[in-house]
Amino acid sequence: MTTFFVTWLATIPQLAVPYALAALGLILSERAGVLNLTAEGLMLVGALASVAVLLTFRPDPLVAMMAGMLAAAAVSVLFSFLVIVLRVNQVIAGLVIVFFCQGLTSLLGNLFGWTSKAFSGLGPVSLGVLADIPVIGPILFRQDVIVYLMIPIVFGVSYLLQRTRLGLRLRAVGESPEAADAMGVSVSMTRFLAVTAGSALVGLAGAYIAVANVKVWIDDMTSGRGWIAIALVIFARWNPWRAAAGALLFGSIQAVIPKLAAAGIVLPQYLLMTTPYLATLGVMIWVSIRHLNGPSDEPGALGQPYVREERR
Amino acid sequence: MRDDVSDATRRASPIDTAGNAVIAKAHAAGRQRRFGQISIEVRRSASFPLRLFALAAALVTGLGLSAFALILVGVPAESLADEFVSATILDPMNFKAVLVQAAPLILVGLAAAMAFRVRFWNLGIEGQMIFGGVGATLVSLLHLGPEWARLPLMGLAAVTCGALWASIPALLKLRLSVNEIISTLLLNYVAYYVLLHLLYGAWKDEDGFPHSPAYAASELLPNLDSGVSVSLVLAGGMTLLMTYLVARSRAGFYMRFVSANPGVARALGLPVANMVLFVVLVSGSLAALAGFVVSSGQEGRLTQSFFPGYGVSGVLIGFLARNNPVAAAVVALLMSVLVIAGQNLQVFYGIPPSMVQLIQAVVVMSVAASDFLVIHRVHWIRYRA
Repeated sequence: MTTFFVTWLATIPQLAVPYALAALGLILSERAGVLNLTAEGLMLVGALASVAVLLTFRPDPLVAMMAGMLAAAAVSVLFSFLVIVLRVNQVIAGLVIVFFCQGLTSLLGNLFGWTSKAFSGLGPVSLGVLADIPVIGPILFRQDVIVYLMIPIVFGVSYLLQRTRLGLRLRAVGESPEAADAMGVSVSMTRFLAVTAGSALVGLAGAYIAVANVKVWIDDMTSGRGWIAIALVIFARWNPWRAAAGALLFGSIQAVIPKLAAAGIVLPQYLLMTTPYLATLGVMIWVSIRHLNGPSDEPGALGQPYVREERR
Repeated sequence: MRDDVSDATRRASPIDTAGNAVIAKAHAAGRQRRFGQISIEVRRSASFPLRLFALAAALVTGLGLSAFALILVGVPAESLADEFVSATILDPMNFKAVLVQAAPLILVGLAAAMAFRVRFWNLGIEGQMIFGGVGATLVSLLHLGPEWARLPLMGLAAVTCGALWASIPALLKLRLSVNEIISTLLLNYVAYYVLLHLLYGAWKDEDGFPHSPAYAASELLPNLDSGVSVSLVLAGGMTLLMTYLVARSRAGFYMRFVSANPGVARALGLPVANMVLFVVLVSGSLAALAGFVVSSGQEGRLTQSFFPGYGVSGVLIGFLARNNPVAAAVVALLMSVLVIAGQNLQVFYGIPPSMVQLIQAVVVMSVAASDFLVIHRVHWIRYRA
C-alpha cells in the first residue's frame, strides 16, 4: 500500500506541471482582458517546436523547451493581431487558432518525419542526500528541473500581478480598459505583452508534455489538456496560487488512473479515461454553485475588444 | 482589485471626453506627433459594397495564402486550378463524392449556426455526432421495428440521443451558468471514450476489429434514382426547415430577440431559457443526424473515426455563413469541394490531410479579419500646428 501511494504521489508533480504552466499563462492573458482559448493549439506548437529542435540539433532538453516557448509566443502574435488590432471575436479567433495549430503541427510533423520518433528527453534530478530519504525522497526530491522551477514561476507570476506597476496596469486594462486608457496606459500594448508572455508559458507547458512526460511527438498529443487548463483558470478564479493547487488536483487525478490498473484493480479501461474530463466538469459545476449569486472574480472586460471611440 | 481600478480612474479624471483624450494624451505625455494618429471607431452600419469588398478581399487573401502553402509543399502551381475546380466539380465521380461529403457538413454547419443564434457556443458537435451514431447503431443491433421502418427509427434514435447529450451543457448553462464552451468541449472527450468503450467491448464486431457489426442492407441510406444520396435530401430538407424556423416562425423572432439582448427579452417576459434550451436541442439533433448520415450513408457501421474534424468544420461553416441556414448549406458545399480536393491531393501528391484543415483555418481567419473593415471605421486624426 505504501509503495502504491509513494509511486502515485511521485508522479503527480510532473503531470501537474503542464496544467499549472498553461493555467498561469492563461491567467496573464485573461487578467489583461483577453479571453484566450488558444491554449490547446499553442501547447501543440510548443510541443512540436521543442521536439523538432531536439531531434534536429540534439541540444540540452531545456534549450529545446525554450524553442517551444518562443514558437508558441510567435504564433500567439497572430492571435494578438486578430483580437487586439482587428478586434475579431475572441472566441472565434481562439478556436480558429487552435484549428490552425492542429493542422500546422500535424502537417509539419508529417512532412519532416518528426512523428513517433522517441528521444531521451528531460530526466529527473536527484537532490543528493535528500533524494534518499524514504517516502519523501522519491516524492519531492527526485523530480526534474521544471518541477523545482514551478515554485519560483508561480511566485513570480503572482508577484508580477499583485505587487508591480506593470501588474497593476495589466489588471487595470483587464478590468476597465476605458479607465486604464484615460490614465495613459496603452491598452493594446499591455494586452499584447500579456498575451505574448502568457503564450510563452502555455508553449512551455506543451514542450514539457512532449519533452518530459511523453518523450515523443504524436498528432494532437495534448488531448484536451489545453481545454482543461482553461477550466482550471475559472476554478482558480484567476489567481496563480489557486491555479497551482488546482493543477496538483488534476495531476493527481491523472496520475491515479494507470496506478489503479497496475495495482490490479480491474475497471472499464475506456470509461476510466473519462475521469479527468468528468472531474473538470464536476469542478466547474462546483465553482458555479458556490458562486452562483456571489461576486465573480472574472476580469471586468474579459472577452471584450476595446475601441476607444465606441459609442455606448 | 476593484479599488486599484477606481484609483486609476480618479487619477485620470482631468481628461474626460473620449474624443479629446487622444490629443490631450499626446500633449500631456510631451510626445508632439507631427502628423497625427490613427483613430478607430465602431460603425453604425456598413454599406453593401463595402461588405462585398471586404469579403472578396478576404477570400482572395485566404485562398492566395492557401495556394502559396500548397505550392510550398510541392503541388505544381499550374495544376492548382485543375485540382480544385476541374477535378472536383467537372469530374462526375468526384462531383458525386462532393455531394456525399456535403450532407454531413451541411448538417453540422446548421447545428452550429442554430446554436450561435441564441449565443450558445455549441462546440460539442462531435460528441453529439457520436451519440447520434450510437443511437442509430443501437436500433440496428436490437433489430427494432419492421425492416421498412428501420431507417426512420435509426434517425429518430440518433436525434434523441444527440439531443439528450446536448441537453447536459444546455441545462448546466441555464441552471448553473456553467460556461458552455468548456463543458461542450469536455463532453466531446467523454463521448469519445464512451464510444471506444462500446466498440472495444459489447459492440465489437465478430471479425475482432473495434467497430460495430455492419448494418444490414435495409439500414443503409439509399441513393435516389437520380444517383443523389438520401442523406443530401435530408440535409436539404433540414436547411429548409431551419430557414422556416429562423425566418418565418415565432421561434425565429424570439431567437433574434434573445440574441440581440437577452436581458430585455427576459424583462419583456419572453421564455428566454426555454428558447435557448429548445434551440440547443435542435442543434444537438442536427449534429446527431450528421452522425447518423455518416454512419449509415458512408461507413455502413459505427466506427471509431467517423466524426473527427466535423465539430470545428461546423463551427467554421456557421461562422462564415453568419448563422444563416441557406448560407450554411452553400458554405458547406464549398467546404465539401475543398475536402474532396484535399483527398485528391493526398492521393496524387502525398499532401497530408491536415493541409485541408490548415486551408480552412487560413480562409476563416482572413474572413474574420476582414470584418474589421465592416465593423470599424478607421481614420486619421490630423493635429493642427
